[in-house]
Amino acid sequence: MRSTRAVTISPEPDEFAVLPVWQRIALQLGILSVITLAIVLASELLGLQFGGTVRRVLSLALVPLPLLLWLLLSALPEDRFARPRRRLVGVAILSGLCASAFGLPLVDDFFQIGQWLPLESVIQRIVGYTVTVGVVDVGIKFLVLRFMVLPQDLRARSDVVAYAMAAAVGYSFYINLVSIWRLDPVWELAAIVVLSNIVIQFASSMAMTLGIVASYFANAFPSVLPLSLVVAALSTGLIAPQVPGLTSGPLGTAGNITRPLYGIVFLLAVLLLSLAGTYFLYRNAERRQREITLGRGDGNGL
Amino acid sequence: MAFEVPRSPVAQLTQRQRLSLSLSYLVIAVGLLAGINQRDSALNLASVYANDEAGITAVHPARWLLEETGDFVFRVRDMSYRGFNTQIEVSTVAVGADNSARNVFDQLSLARAQSLIDYHVLGYDEYVLPDESSASSMAYSFVARDASPFLQGISSVVSGLDILIVRRGQAVIVSFRSDSRIYEREVSTLRWFIENLEF
Repeated sequence: MRSTRAVTISPEPDEFAVLPVWQRIALQLGILSVITLAIVLASELLGLQFGGTVRRVLSLALVPLPLLLWLLLSALPEDRFARPRRRLVGVAILSGLCASAFGLPLVDDFFQIGQWLPLESVIQRIVGYTVTVGVVDVGIKFLVLRFMVLPQDLRARSDVVAYAMAAAVGYSFYINLVSIWRLDPVWELAAIVVLSNIVIQFASSMAMTLGIVASYFANAFPSVLPLSLVVAALSTGLIAPQVPGLTSGPLGTAGNITRPLYGIVFLLAVLLLSLAGTYFLYRNAERRQREITLGRGDGNGL
Repeated sequence: MAFEVPRSPVAQLTQRQRLSLSLSYLVIAVGLLAGINQRDSALNLASVYANDEAGITAVHPARWLLEETGDFVFRVRDMSYRGFNTQIEVSTVAVGADNSARNVFDQLSLARAQSLIDYHVLGYDEYVLPDESSASSMAYSFVARDASPFLQGISSVVSGLDILIVRRGQAVIVSFRSDSRIYEREVSTLRWFIENLEF
């Protein structure tokens, strides 16, 4: 008679050494989306409107919301783990500073997109946003990551995700601040502006993440990383021109009617698609790498 | 379930990684160049306007709005600017042998003083055309309000420059108007317009 015994498979000790990123990112983006949706619904259904200084204060109060959520859920809890990602805050600050020093001046003053892009056809606008706003945003964030954390601070794939998210949050913070300050929109549109900027930066950062992970952890073909940057810039080109078009309704005799629900539905769909898509590709790459490594008999899993 | 490793596995870059980094910088640079090219082709794209009746052929920025209805031959306006739209207007008047440029400008000023707010002539000068011939010019300013009474905008100070070219008993008046804050930047468009004007 064969004897049997229960075997307890303990999790690898390193699983708890670093803060898991995907759940945290999903949580902070989920909270931000719910708050934005609540503001839009309150304005649309309950007719909640503010005027003058109150509106400006409430709109500006939305600007630091993504940053605060990221600090509370991602950056600050790092210290509770054995191997914290120490450069997260530095990457976020440098990204914000670069957005201020290079990003916005390049887009507004050098490329002067307001002078010609809104007048172009749909395809021209997508291409135009890709090679101007997309390339500038992605280029700056990539260079920040390259010179702050790549490759010395990469210990695991999740590090790339965490640092790319930090760059997205820092970069979008400054863009949000300037957008809300200049446009002074109504509260619901301010919420959509904040969400749209974070979604645009998140989507491009995640596309970039896949390329960095493939290049640095799987030693992928040299064209994979630059291709991911192209996809990241293209994602900005695809999303950025659609949001104002969807949010602003058709021009009629009574004036321009805003349709914030159209904008927020589009943004939530993009957010879900980019989060799920990146997560699927990330996990798939990780699983394939693990299978290859186990096939080789390497114990450390890479 | 996370799959982590304790130390950086990529401290030493491989040949592929170094190449991918170089290609990435190249992609960013090429992307920026493509953006510059896209911007330049959009901003400098020109359209040709021809009016056989008036005998005028002109080249104007393609993105500017062309209008032909009014007391002018044609007018082009830059609708992308949020304040007073920069505009170039071309009109013709018949001039007699004893009609001086000053007479034409005075007639224009009398008419404008009735319709424009705080219209002031700033001065008269000579304008050298690209073919080295001379024309007359008159600089002026006025205050422009938003066309819509529902828009609560602040009025803009507009700077204008009329260039009067007299040939074969016909005077062509090229009127350039722009928000005074961007006048110096925009006046280069007028020079380019005059260089390509044929009549």
